[in-house]
Amino acid sequence: MKKILLEVEGLSTHFMTRNGVLKAVNDVSFTLHEGEIIGLVGESGSGKSVTGFSILGLVDAPGQIVAGSVRLQGRELIGMAEPELRTVRGREISMVFQDPSTTLNPVLSIGTQMRLALAAHETVSRQAADTRCADVLNKVGIPDAARRLDYFPHQFSGGMRQRVAIAIALLNHPKLIICDEPTTALDVSIQAQILLQMKTLAQDFGTAMIWISHDLSTVSSVASQLLVMYAGRIIESGPARDLLRIPNHPYTHGLLGSLPEHARPGQPLEQIPGQMPSLIDLGSECAFLSRCTKSDSLCHTSPTLRSDGSRRVRCHHPIAGDWH
Amino acid sequence: MLGFVIQRVVQAVVVMLIISILVFVGVYAVGNPIDVLISPDATQLIREQTIKAYGLDQPLWKQYLDFLMRLLQGDFGRSFVYNMPVIDLIFSRLPATIELTLTAVLGATVLGVPLGIYAGYRPDRFLSKMIMGLSIFGFSVPTFWIGLVLIFTFAVTLGWFPAGNRGPTASLWGIEWSFLTGEGLAYLFLPALNLSLFKFAMMVRLARAGTRETMLTDIVKFARASGESEFTILHRHVLRLISIPIVTVFGLELGSTLAFAVVTETIFSWPGVGKLIIDSIATLDRPVMVAYLMLVAFLFIMINLTVDIVYVFLDPRLRHRRS
Repeated sequence: MKKILLEVEGLSTHFMTRNGVLKAVNDVSFTLHEGEIIGLVGESGSGKSVTGFSILGLVDAPGQIVAGSVRLQGRELIGMAEPELRTVRGREISMVFQDPSTTLNPVLSIGTQMRLALAAHETVSRQAADTRCADVLNKVGIPDAARRLDYFPHQFSGGMRQRVAIAIALLNHPKLIICDEPTTALDVSIQAQILLQMKTLAQDFGTAMIWISHDLSTVSSVASQLLVMYAGRIIESGPARDLLRIPNHPYTHGLLGSLPEHARPGQPLEQIPGQMPSLIDLGSECAFLSRCTKSDSLCHTSPTLRSDGSRRVRCHHPIAGDWH
Repeated sequence: MLGFVIQRVVQAVVVMLIISILVFVGVYAVGNPIDVLISPDATQLIREQTIKAYGLDQPLWKQYLDFLMRLLQGDFGRSFVYNMPVIDLIFSRLPATIELTLTAVLGATVLGVPLGIYAGYRPDRFLSKMIMGLSIFGFSVPTFWIGLVLIFTFAVTLGWFPAGNRGPTASLWGIEWSFLTGEGLAYLFLPALNLSLFKFAMMVRLARAGTRETMLTDIVKFARASGESEFTILHRHVLRLISIPIVTVFGLELGSTLAFAVVTETIFSWPGVGKLIIDSIATLDRPVMVAYLMLVAFLFIMINLTVDIVYVFLDPRLRHRRS
């Protein structure tokens, strides 16, 4: 059994907006082992990105982590002083964002940007820094990297830019990379390439990953564990293969049913009716109540997350399994 | 890059030609300088001699061609009033204005941009609100009034700085400058402060708006996620990203202040070109007005050219498009 890398327990991040408290992340708990890839799935606004940012302590105002604990190899990150937290960011946990054309600085050469990320954690000579940067760029699949350090982001294609961002994230050999939909903004053909490459890199470096996505089929090809989020909560989790074969929550079931590969030719795509409730006035009932086909009077009280050992589900009427 | 510069120089020549026509026609179509130059009771003979001596009996197009030919030889004519070459007259005044303007615009930028970045970075702090208050003050209070208040407070009441004039100067490259002597600096301080207040306010607003916008981008989030310090983020990422509008406004302000520092120069009796142009408009000293306007047009073109070249250094995307 591998050692535990990250423990997230009861994490809640709320946004104090003018219209009330927006509960973006609510009581999220999960455990990540060293070198493990975990997929965090949910639709837009389900709280998956905010979960990622909360782990790094990078929630923008008016957002606030109101409860919970995030432990990296036993060290508590919530409430850690900013200077200390900065030594964690980039060196122990780094992040790759969705759109490389908005994350890289257009007026600095990629060499400069990489050297800044490197200099944030250690003092290295210019020459040593350049060698290291070129080395990592080569690893993520950018040929002739030493010469391209002087290039600017606009001189790269979208896929190449995302490779540069990934190289920056890998630069300090972090133990964990949070990937916030890193392939969503790319061409489908490039998506598969990058996906495969990241999986290989994670194996080579022994890096764990949290892969955030709204796309179940993408995630299932990289992650060994899946977390499904809905309205700020984890509603189902478990080993990817089991969860995809036998979903237990009606929402997961609906999601899988709406994948194009499950549709029969000539038939319209399945979809989940309705939409996610507003995160500001979440009541005490199950958040999926209004869209669920299996609901009854029991569903007016919020279900708890129940576990059968390897899988968890937050539902009064799980589709299968033995829950306690 | 070289091709770009050559192209811009050709454009500049065309623009200067067009401006020379506009300026010449505009200035020569108003008023009659003879009425100003000679007394009403002068004899008809003297009157005709004077008209002939200044070439005012020629048709307008002939006067323009003569003017243009002289211009190309570096001869801007003689001032009607001072009876000396216009070029000498303007260049005897120009260093004073350049010195005052550069001090004011540079000072406003060097102080305004960091304060603006701070106000954009921490918009809710008390200090930020103070900075913004000062910038609203700088925007809304008229320059001449501030000038008078400055003189009254620091020169008359407190006696810390002289109330006007240029004071002692020292020579560098054959030109007299105030900033080279300690006392000259004291003379320079109040008028430069007066002139810089509006520009300071503008730089603060520009830097603040840019910083607020930039701080919300993924560029900053990504840099933070890489563990870069807030100081690194501000001076390596944010400053570079907001520098393009700042350079633009810097250039425009430098040009317009060089040309129109009139109010401050008048209040502080600063012997610059602004004062000269006001006097020559009053006396219809046409060669001075024409030469001055041509000089201003030339300065604007040069400043804009410099700004365009600086852009290329600031934004690599332009560099590759043009090369």
